[in-house]
Amino acid sequence: MPDLPKKKVGIVACSGEERAEGTVTRLAALKVLELLRPDDTVTICLPLFLAGGQGDRAFARFYPTIAVDGCEKRCAARATEQFSGKPAAGLVVTDLTGERAELGSARRLNEAGQRAVRVLAQQLAEQVDDLLGKPRDQSPLHATPEVTLDHGAETPAEPAPAVEATCSCGSGIPVLTLSVGDQRLTLVVVPAIFEQLYQQGKRPGVDGVGAELLQLARIYNAIPDAEAAAYQAALAREFETFCHNKEG
Amino acid sequence: MNDKGRIVVVPCSGIGKTYGTVGREAVYSLVEDLRPDDTEVMALSLLVLGDEETRARMRAAPAITVDGCKLACASKMVAESGGRVAYEANVLDTFRRHRQLRPKGVSRLNPDGEQLAEHLAGELAEAADRIQAEEK
Repeated sequence: MPDLPKKKVGIVACSGEERAEGTVTRLAALKVLELLRPDDTVTICLPLFLAGGQGDRAFARFYPTIAVDGCEKRCAARATEQFSGKPAAGLVVTDLTGERAELGSARRLNEAGQRAVRVLAQQLAEQVDDLLGKPRDQSPLHATPEVTLDHGAETPAEPAPAVEATCSCGSGIPVLTLSVGDQRLTLVVVPAIFEQLYQQGKRPGVDGVGAELLQLARIYNAIPDAEAAAYQAALAREFETFCHNKEG
Repeated sequence: MNDKGRIVVVPCSGIGKTYGTVGREAVYSLVEDLRPDDTEVMALSLLVLGDEETRARMRAAPAITVDGCKLACASKMVAESGGRVAYEANVLDTFRRHRQLRPKGVSRLNPDGEQLAEHLAGELAEAADRIQAEEK
């Protein structure tokens, strides 16, 4: 049985190669993805919004996304909004450190730069918890150590073993473009929903299938009440085509 | 060529994979250690955003792109920004030439990852020399 994608928080870092602040975004994002919130976060490379496929571009419409930028140009936040979806939140390194902070080089951060990584990662982890509606967990496995830029308190031993960051590059979110009334719209996760219902033995035209399609699609997509009937009809049509193609 | 006569170098810096970090480290090795007078790094995120100043810098010089996977974001974005890709490197190709290495890590490369980055940096330096010779 296919699993529907789990709601996680997407993290998009600018990773700007020309400034130390860009490296701070990259390392802070990786700290959250690998150590602080590995089960709750996923990432994608920013350029894939242009260079990738439709599934990559659906990233910020499916995952509530935090854009992490190094400077006031806010490439990650602006490009994510322009090409994928409006980020749910954003952090900027220079807001944290000031414009003139000496953080080392883009290649090698100094101690102040490393401290900025820890503070930013802590803020990022807290935003992840907020977006998922989780209490700010203080258990040993999840707690983020209190670190401040001013005092430079050292991070205690890492709370959890490192895992690899969950990367969405190239896999993308399954999407379906369909006609609703006279509009062409792209809905996320719908192909996975079709597959799940199909494998459960559900078929078009059977009582309740149209309503179930709509209900599941609404978990992942904003569907206005006033247009729910039109969406349901469109989903039912597409599900019929899906089943037809499956059965040859 | 831009007014400094430098080649612009654009790594993909892929964030979810070891090869993205290998490409990024190799580029820093090229522009800071191996060919500091002939090359300069350019932030890919600025190209994604369509930053005009960055696009102008891109159009004024030949480019070396360094990608960490087959999606080739850096190469595609440079081409889309009106740049001229004079050399297109992919970390996977370098890895195939050094299969004994077992690169690991994203936020910090293991020693094999660092070695792979150095091999790639050497290849990039040779490419930069060829481009400079052709441009003269």
